[in-house]
Amino acid sequence: MIFSGKLPAFLAYVKKKQYLCSRKGVNTCITGRYHAMKKEKNKYPRTRSGLWILIVAAVVLEGTACVQYFTSRAAIRDEVELRAKTELGRAELEIEKHTIEMETAAKALAMLAEKHVNNPDSIFAATRSIVGAIDNTSSVAIAYIPDYFPNKGKFFEACSSRISADSIYTRQIGSADHDYTQLEWWQNGFEHDSCWWCEPYPDNAGSKTMVVSCSHPVRDKTGKVVAVVCIDLSLDYLQQVSEYLQIYEGSFYSILSSQGQDIVGRPDTVSGRKYSIFNEEIDATGWHISIIVPDDVIYAALRRVGLIVTIMMLLGLVVLVFIMVRTGRNLVKLINLRNEQDRMESELTIARNVQMAMLPTRFPPFPDYPNLSAYGVVVPAKEVGGDLFDFYIRENKMYFCLGDVSGKGVPASIVMAMTRSLFRSLTSYLDSPAQIMKQMNDSLAGEGNDQNMFVTLFLGILNLKNGELHYCNAGHNAPIHLPFGDASCTMLPCKANLPLGVLAGFAFEEQETKIQAGDALFLYTDGLTEAENSAHELFGEERVNNEWLKLKDESPQQIIETMQAEVKAFVGEAEQSDDLTMFAVRLLKQSPDTGHPSPMHEGHYSLIMRNDIQQIPTLAEWIEMLGLPHELNMPINLALEEAVSNVMLYAYPGKSGQVLVECTKSDTLVFTISDSGVPFDPTQQEDPDVTQSAEERPIGGLGIFLVKQIMDEVHYERKNNKNILTLVKKM
Amino acid sequence: MTIQIENEGSVLVARLAGRLDTAAAVEITPDIQALAEQADKHIVLDCSALEYISSSGLRLFLTLRKESAAKGGKLQVRAISADIRQVFMMTGFISLFEIV
Repeated sequence: MIFSGKLPAFLAYVKKKQYLCSRKGVNTCITGRYHAMKKEKNKYPRTRSGLWILIVAAVVLEGTACVQYFTSRAAIRDEVELRAKTELGRAELEIEKHTIEMETAAKALAMLAEKHVNNPDSIFAATRSIVGAIDNTSSVAIAYIPDYFPNKGKFFEACSSRISADSIYTRQIGSADHDYTQLEWWQNGFEHDSCWWCEPYPDNAGSKTMVVSCSHPVRDKTGKVVAVVCIDLSLDYLQQVSEYLQIYEGSFYSILSSQGQDIVGRPDTVSGRKYSIFNEEIDATGWHISIIVPDDVIYAALRRVGLIVTIMMLLGLVVLVFIMVRTGRNLVKLINLRNEQDRMESELTIARNVQMAMLPTRFPPFPDYPNLSAYGVVVPAKEVGGDLFDFYIRENKMYFCLGDVSGKGVPASIVMAMTRSLFRSLTSYLDSPAQIMKQMNDSLAGEGNDQNMFVTLFLGILNLKNGELHYCNAGHNAPIHLPFGDASCTMLPCKANLPLGVLAGFAFEEQETKIQAGDALFLYTDGLTEAENSAHELFGEERVNNEWLKLKDESPQQIIETMQAEVKAFVGEAEQSDDLTMFAVRLLKQSPDTGHPSPMHEGHYSLIMRNDIQQIPTLAEWIEMLGLPHELNMPINLALEEAVSNVMLYAYPGKSGQVLVECTKSDTLVFTISDSGVPFDPTQQEDPDVTQSAEERPIGGLGIFLVKQIMDEVHYERKNNKNILTLVKKM
Repeated sequence: MTIQIENEGSVLVARLAGRLDTAAAVEITPDIQALAEQADKHIVLDCSALEYISSSGLRLFLTLRKESAAKGGKLQVRAISADIRQVFMMTGFISLFEIV
C-alpha cells in the first residue's frame, strides 16, 4: 500500500478548482463591464471628437494658408518695387540721354547763331543740319526778337522740320499769325540764361504734333539776347522709348512735366482701385516718371494660387470627413467584432471548463487502492483540445485510455467528448480491449463522421491483483514501460492497429503483458515529442529518454510535473503547437482481495518515498495500515523510521532519490528497505555504550542501535547497485 | 508536533505534544536551542502529550541535558508514556535523565 504525495496533490486539486472558478468569475465580470463601457461611448463622443479633429485640421490648414498668403504678398510687393525702381532708373537714363542730346544741340545751335548773327540766311542751314543730325527731334527753330532783321519783316523764325525719315523741310515761319514771342518756349528761352524745357504743347507751326521743347537764348556781341533756339522733342518719340515702363500687363506709367502736365499719357483707369505708385525725377528737366501698378494686377497670380489652395484645402477637409466617417463605421464593426469575440471567448472558457471536468482531476485518484499511484495532465494548445485520458477501477481492474483526436480546437473537442463517453460506457460491461476498441471504432467510423476525424488511442486494462495488463493500441504512440530500479526503459510492444474512426469493421488485435510491483507505465501524446520551440526544433524522443534517466523511479506526479516543466522550458516563448497529454501509473504492490487496506492479512506491502525527511509522517500512516499488533506498532515504526531516515539523509548526497519499503507479513514480519544511493552498510556501525554518563555520551549513533534493539534480525546486502537492508521481527 | 515553553515561577516548563519524529525534530530544533540558552535554570520537559520519539528527538533531549550539566542548571523529564519509557530504556536514557 502506498501513499505518495497525497497532500500536495490534494492541494493542487483544490487550487486548480479555485483557479477555474475565480478565472471564470473574473472573466465574466470584466467582460460585462467592458460591454457596458463600450455601449455608452459608442455614439456621441466619437462624433464630437471627430468634429474636433475637423476643426483643428481646418484651423491648422487655414492658418498655414494665411501665413503663406501674407508672406507671399510681402515678397511679391518687394519684387514689384524692385522691378519698378530698376525700370524707372533705366527710363531716367534713357530720357536723360535724349534731353542732354537736345540741350547740347540747342547750345551748339545758339553758338552757331551767335557767330552768324548778322547773316540770317545761313541760319537755315544750321537748323537743317541739327535736324539731320539728331534723329529724335521733330523740329529745330531759331526765332529772333521782332524787327531784328529790318529786311526780313517783323517776325523771323528759321525752322527745319522732319517730314519723314529722309526728308527735312526748312523755311521761315515767323509771321503775324505766328507770333512766337507770345509762346512759352520763346519767352522762357529769352529770359533764362541756359536751356529751358517748356510744358508740352501742340507744335502747329513746325512738326504739327505734341512736343516738348528745349529753348536756349542767342546773344549778340554785346551780350543782348537777340534770338531763342528751340529744339522740339516729339512726345510720340518719348512714348516709344518709354514703353518698357509698362512692367506688367495691366500696369501703367506716366511722365509728367515739372508743372504737372502729361508728357506721356497718364491713364485714369486706376481711379477707384487700389494701386502702388513708384516715382523718379529727372534732374535736368524736372520731369517725374511714374509707374502705377494696381493691386489687383500685382496680386492677380497670388489670388489665383490662393483660390486654388483654398479649394484644395476644402477638398482635403471633405476627404478627411469621408475617411473619418468610413473609419468610424469600421470602428463600430471592429467593436461589434470584439463583442462577438468576447462572447465566443467566454463560451470557449465554459467549453474548456466542461471539457476539463471530463478529465480526471482527483489525485491520488483511489484512496482505497494505495498501491496504485497515478497522475495525468492535459495541456490544450487552444481553449479546448482533442487530447484525452481517462481511467477508473472496476472489479479490481483499472481501465485506462489515452488518445489524440486529429485536429485541434472545438471540432476535436467534440470528438474527444464522444470518445470519452464511448470509453466509459463500453468498459462498463466489456472486458476485452480489442472488443472495446472495435465497438468504439464502429461508432466513430459510422455514419456521421463526415469530417473524417479520427482518434489514435491506447486502451489498457490492468489487473490490480496480479499485474496483468491487457491492452490494445489504435495507432497511438506506444507507452513507455519503466521497471523500478532498473536502468532500462522500453516501449510497450504494440501491434499496428488503425486509428479509431478510419475504417468501420476493422478487427483490432489486443496484447497482454505483466507489470511488476514498482513498475510504471508512461503514456503520452505527440504533443510531448513534437513540442516545438521558437527555432522550430522538436522536443524529440531523445530528450524524453534523457529525462527517464533522472525520473524513472519518481512518483507519477513527479515524473509528469518534471516532464511538463522541461517541455515548458524548452518551448520558451513559442506558442504551444499541439495539445499535450501525459498519464503515468505506477503499480506498487498487488492489493489484497478486498481492495481495502485494513485490517491486513498475510501479504506483501510496499511504500515508495522520496529522500525528503518531510515524508516521514507518510511512513507512520503506512505502518498504521499494516495492522500490526498494538504493542509492535511503536517499535516497528521507530525502527523503520530510523532505517529510512538514514537512507533519506545519507544515501543520495545532494540529489533526489527514492527509498522503497516493502513488508512481507506472515508469522514473522520481514521488511526490506532498498535504495540505489551510495553503498552503505549501517550494520557495521559501532553500538553506543548505554552505560556512559550524560557527559560522556556522544550525541548521535542511536538510530541504527535502536533498529538492532527492536528487530530480531538485521541484514545488509549490496545487490544490483542497490543497498538492501532487511529487518525481521517475529510475532 | 508542538512545543510550548512557559514560566512556572522560577521553573521553565516545555510542553511537548505530538510525534517527535525525524521531520518534527528538525522543526523544533530552534525551540530547543532557545531552551539550551537558559539551561542554567530549572527546566522541566513535560512529555504528557508526547506520543512518539525517534533518535533525532533523543538527540535534542541529550543536547539539552549536556547543556544543563555544563551550565549548572537542572533538567527534569516529566510524565513520559510507556512507549517513550521503552525507548528510554533501550537507549539507557532512563539513567541519564531525572524522570519525575
